[in-house]
Amino acid sequence: MRILLSSFLALALLSGCDIIDMPKGEQSGPVGPGSGTTRRVLIEDCTGHLCPNCPQAAEIAEQLKDVYGDRLVIVAVHMSTTFAAPQAPIGDGIYDDDFRTAAGNQYESMFQVDGLPKGLIDRTPYSNLIPIPRLSWSSAVAQLIDQPANIDLWIDSLSYNSGTNTVTATVNAAILNAIPGPQNLTIYLTESHIIGWQEDNRLPAGQQNIPDYEFNHVLRGALNNPLGETFIPADAQVGDTLVNTFSYVLPANVLVPNNCSLVAYVYNTDAGPEQYQVQEAAERKFVP
Amino acid sequence: MHSPIRLATTLSAFIAAIGLFAQGPGELHGNFSTDAQLYQDDPQIGAAKPPSDFGLNAWSNLNYRSGNFLAGVRFESYEPALLGYPAGSPYKGTGLGFRYATYSVNDLEVTVGNFYEQFGQGLAFRSYEERALGVDNAMDGVRLKFNPDTGIYLKAFVGRQRLAFDDGTVKGDGIVRGIDGEISLTEAFPHLFPKWTENGHNLTLGGSFVSKYQADLDPLLELPENVGTWAARANYTTAKWNIYSEYAYKINDPNGSNNNIYKPGQALMANATYSVRGLGISAGAHTYDNMVYQSDRGAPSLFDLNINYLPTLAKEHTYNLPATLYPYATQPNGEVAYQGEIFYMIKKGSKLGGKYGTKLTLNWSGAWSLDSTAIPNDTVHYLGYTTKFFSMGERQYFSDFNAEIRHKFSADWEVAVTYMNLVYDIATIQGHPGLPVVYANIYILDGIHNFNDKTSLHFELQQLTTKQDQGSWVTGLAELTFSPHWFVAALDQYNYGGSVETEQIHYPIANFGYIRGGSRFTFGYGRQRAGIFCVGGVCRVVPAANGLTASITTTF
Repeated sequence: MRILLSSFLALALLSGCDIIDMPKGEQSGPVGPGSGTTRRVLIEDCTGHLCPNCPQAAEIAEQLKDVYGDRLVIVAVHMSTTFAAPQAPIGDGIYDDDFRTAAGNQYESMFQVDGLPKGLIDRTPYSNLIPIPRLSWSSAVAQLIDQPANIDLWIDSLSYNSGTNTVTATVNAAILNAIPGPQNLTIYLTESHIIGWQEDNRLPAGQQNIPDYEFNHVLRGALNNPLGETFIPADAQVGDTLVNTFSYVLPANVLVPNNCSLVAYVYNTDAGPEQYQVQEAAERKFVP
Repeated sequence: MHSPIRLATTLSAFIAAIGLFAQGPGELHGNFSTDAQLYQDDPQIGAAKPPSDFGLNAWSNLNYRSGNFLAGVRFESYEPALLGYPAGSPYKGTGLGFRYATYSVNDLEVTVGNFYEQFGQGLAFRSYEERALGVDNAMDGVRLKFNPDTGIYLKAFVGRQRLAFDDGTVKGDGIVRGIDGEISLTEAFPHLFPKWTENGHNLTLGGSFVSKYQADLDPLLELPENVGTWAARANYTTAKWNIYSEYAYKINDPNGSNNNIYKPGQALMANATYSVRGLGISAGAHTYDNMVYQSDRGAPSLFDLNINYLPTLAKEHTYNLPATLYPYATQPNGEVAYQGEIFYMIKKGSKLGGKYGTKLTLNWSGAWSLDSTAIPNDTVHYLGYTTKFFSMGERQYFSDFNAEIRHKFSADWEVAVTYMNLVYDIATIQGHPGLPVVYANIYILDGIHNFNDKTSLHFELQQLTTKQDQGSWVTGLAELTFSPHWFVAALDQYNYGGSVETEQIHYPIANFGYIRGGSRFTFGYGRQRAGIFCVGGVCRVVPAANGLTASITTTF
């Protein structure tokens, strides 16, 4: 009996504890994909300028970008009346910006984004959640990013005509593996290096309202439709290539076209547990 | 997901298993309960009818026993779940929510499938169901219980926890393992403690170790994949005294609720009660520091996948106003709390006691933040903060002083008068940043009048006065019982102190019910105020609702 008890206890104690003294070791450079083509993951950072934890969330997204490089696409989707609405008195220059979009407002209710910051990581559940708390983003991204890509997606021949304020580009999709259903294509326009007010609760009391915060990857609008448009049919076969060429006038809220990017992604439209899950994403800057 | 075919297959397998293992004829017992509501819009209270118009929760247990063999299943239906239910991850669909088989032989008990279990008071491990809240962290795995000798109790288990329900149980990612040992000294060694044995004293000592495993996928931080918690406890009992203490220590457990810090957690609780005829005194204290312990570090909410349980010291009131407006929720990431209670029965036949005696109860509880200091630029060890053990911080979360006098004037009349004084940090407890602390006084008159052997009236008048939050309230309740079958009740909660007339709202509810044998039918109609509902320091948000309700429970 004594041996039995001792064995049990020893087994439990030996297997039960990982004590970590320095959680953050040396960070390596961008992690390349393994063998074959792996997924490019879309992280939609649901954020707002009055959300005090959102700057930390944005930093986590950027740290993940440092790790994964081009394999991760970030879009900052400003949403919620509580956290993203302009603050009166309008015109005093303090929290006057409204980075919200029709698409962002639609996603807020569609994915039941409750409380910010939250992230939609390929709109795929992690720990049974689709809007994911920021501290789980890195694990949620890691869960997906090394999976084989079913679709390869890329944007080429991007051009911007300043005279007509129009962007023209082509999105290509190559079917690499069997797809779970028909796919819609959504095209975002994002803008970076926007300066404005942002709350950050990591700063000392009295200094938590930052007047010159730099907003990056800000969603300016879904150029085609917040829910995209039909792109890949359910019967698409491995080896098929699909092409979508388009021209759109930039949304009126764009400040500096040269700071803009196109983000394209395809997602499942079939009803079911995988509905809305993003299969692949791609990004291309106006000015590389 | 469980299709009907798969459900039927599972049930068939279960019945076959019973036939295989059962020894001779056995007994089958069960119960059924359901809560349903037909909703309607009520813009005045912010109640919106869901698209389905209707919600239904239903549970049915079937348990079979034959000799040393016990097996059971629980069917659950959420078609769809009632608004605001459950507290954590969603429940939907119909299927098996619990199934188990247990066999006992030679002081060894083996359980496979689902089980609930608890070590001590639960600081290291508690798997339980609190149906009213929609909290259910049932284990699914294997559990062994072994009594190697008299007074020695050993338990061990491995499994995963219930997270949600989607035509069947959805389990969390993490694996939980635990062992526990307990020894009752006077049972195990009566010859070493002859005096204790003779006088009915006992000392029980226990210890446990629990560990969770979850893979580390994080490229930014090195996360502990195995997080262990150990706990020790002692319980000394005599005819008059019951003294209990438990301590738990958890190693680094970065998770969503503690902002990914690597500080170890610890908890200490101590309770003492003294009771003799007509007098009872109890006192308790505890400190919880960074003790959220969930089997998924990214658990969707604090209601999901809890491995441990942190008891509250706040008195759980049943009266409408204190129970629904300002109940206390344990702050697992940090609190220091105390409680004291005196119960005294003034003797029958004395001036104050009268013919039936008078019961006096005084109770006080209070909870504070930890005395902690944030660590600046904490980018190496990620410890988050430092704190002094069992040291109160400056922020008071809660206090509740209450006094009750209960007197039975005659065989037909019993009256209780209660006064409460509450201090309630609504910003912390209910998560409403910026709202001021609520200071409230509550006065309650509670009476029972028996008209005859079969008919009785229970009534309550309650008033809550405060200048904060939504202002003052009153509640009136009348409940008429016609034994043994019928009862009818009406309740109105009125926010007469609302700051504007549109907030001065009545929340009336009327119920009637019928009881026959082991079955009870209750039907009601009225308004449900948005608020929180708590059991044992765990609280869920209750949305505003209006409509027709029905509840049925039965056993066989």
